[in-house]
Amino acid sequence: MGVLVELDRVSKQYGGVRALDQVSFTVEAGEWIAIMGPSGSGKTTLINILGGLDSPSSGRVLVDGRDIGPLSEKDLTRYRAEKVGFVFQQFHLIPYLTAVENVMLAQYFHSMTDEKEARESLARVGLADRAEHLPSQLSGGEQQRVTVARALINHPALILADEPTGNLDEANEELVVNLFRELHGEGHTILLVTHDSGIARLADRRIELAHGRLSQVSVLST
Amino acid sequence: MFWRVLRGSLRESRGRLAVALVAIISGAAVSSALLDLQFDAERKFTREFRTLGANVVVSPPSTGSRTDEESPVFGGEELQKIISVSNGGQSGVTTFAPFLFVVAHSAESSVILAGTWLDEAPRLAPWWKVQGQWVSNRADRQHCLVGRQVARQLKLSPGSSFEVTHAGRKINLEVSGILSTGGAEDNQVYVNLAVAQGIAGVGDGVGLVEINVGGNAERVQNFVTELAARVPELEVRPLRQIAQAEGQLLSRLRMLLLVTVALVLALTGLCVLATMATLAMERRSDIGLMKALGGAMPRLVRMFLAEVGLLGAVGGALGSLLGAVLAAWIGRRVFGTAISARLEVFPLTIALMMAVAMAGATPLRLLSRVRPAVVLRGG
Repeated sequence: MGVLVELDRVSKQYGGVRALDQVSFTVEAGEWIAIMGPSGSGKTTLINILGGLDSPSSGRVLVDGRDIGPLSEKDLTRYRAEKVGFVFQQFHLIPYLTAVENVMLAQYFHSMTDEKEARESLARVGLADRAEHLPSQLSGGEQQRVTVARALINHPALILADEPTGNLDEANEELVVNLFRELHGEGHTILLVTHDSGIARLADRRIELAHGRLSQVSVLST
Repeated sequence: MFWRVLRGSLRESRGRLAVALVAIISGAAVSSALLDLQFDAERKFTREFRTLGANVVVSPPSTGSRTDEESPVFGGEELQKIISVSNGGQSGVTTFAPFLFVVAHSAESSVILAGTWLDEAPRLAPWWKVQGQWVSNRADRQHCLVGRQVARQLKLSPGSSFEVTHAGRKINLEVSGILSTGGAEDNQVYVNLAVAQGIAGVGDGVGLVEINVGGNAERVQNFVTELAARVPELEVRPLRQIAQAEGQLLSRLRMLLLVTVALVLALTGLCVLATMATLAMERRSDIGLMKALGGAMPRLVRMFLAEVGLLGAVGGALGSLLGAVLAAWIGRRVFGTAISARLEVFPLTIALMMAVAMAGATPLRLLSRVRPAVVLRGG
């Protein structure tokens, strides 16, 4: 499939704190990578840099052959709209927009809205009948499925999920994990931060971080 | 999508936005009322000054406006020219009347007989108070208005008759009303012009003409120039004290209104600023998320400006309507007549309020500094 993501000695310094230290690895297109490590190990920083929400202090981050490190704020905004789909632990939905409007918002920032496609995306995560509900009217699991629908709507090259099941009960966790399995089965490239080794086992590879350094890379499935 | 987000954010922040809206409506109401006053002040003041009586006097050279002695007179030909100019469509003359003063005698006392068109008196001197009846017919040679002091001296009351003599000529007059002005008129007897001309034996001569010209000092001066050119043998004088007082008062009133409007706008802007500063803090996470999803800052700024602009437009429109009511009330209280709302004040107020709302929304610029990575992890 070819390399989609390449990190080459990436470091990130916040004042006196080194959040990432000389991290290098590659991700094949269509691969599911689980990122693990204790709190403060640099997992979220890594996801933020890959998602263009933050810039590395040094090193190169190539996504689809393009180094995103030197990109301007404007180009990074475009990169996020076109290449990345985010799924956050805290869901992060706009509270005054309905489920379908939250999905359409990502379309709006990407190019133009298509309500029919947004509803199909919601139907795909099992929320066809909840499209007109506000986030406050949805359960945690339903909100997280809306964020998955939103992450998929622009067909991004990369899906970045930061502990997507961290705030879910067991039943909803299983629903969301199954969604990621389906996405992986369809060939999406996923980088997923998790503390749950059970979820990590579903990935193709597991990358472990400790004190900002890459401590272990394990191949889990073929 | 733009309008969905706009509608949603308006609904979400309706409490805070209502505070800003109330501030804008209040500011717009006061501003538009003052602007209505500003635009209408000249007309109102001109009307007020008009009630002060004549502001132009025409007389033979070197005579006062009204004297206690018999004045030099000028003939009917000049009077016809004055009437012709005064009745011209562009003259701005609201009313005028000729006067002839004669020192006569009655019951061994001297009385000043003032002849004029008594039917014009209520318009030329609206402050006159008459106990009894006005003389409303210019051709009435029998009735007169007697000044309060004269009435007391001659023991006259409405309905009583008395005799007046001058240069061997004698007339009998019947008192129609007792005139009370607090001025020189209280010592005079007012008859129709023809009566005074008859007893003075001056034919159709008059002593002076008092004219009230509507409009500002410049308009009065234009009329004076035009009339002076038509009757060069007469002296045409504006009553400068009134004209200058009118001009100065108008100028001061305008300045006062403009300064007040500026202060009201500044206070409204500060109120909006305080509300928007709070709103900016509340919306940090929404903006951070939108930026994370690829929302470019210019697009997000447009959303906010549309929201604030809409707030300003709605507040300005509602405030303008309230302002029209407020202006009418102020007009009734201050000028005794309603100030009519000026159409141009509506768009002007709306534009001002949109500008004030935009200026007050300056704190929303801070949102451009929001770093999505920070706010999304709760920072």
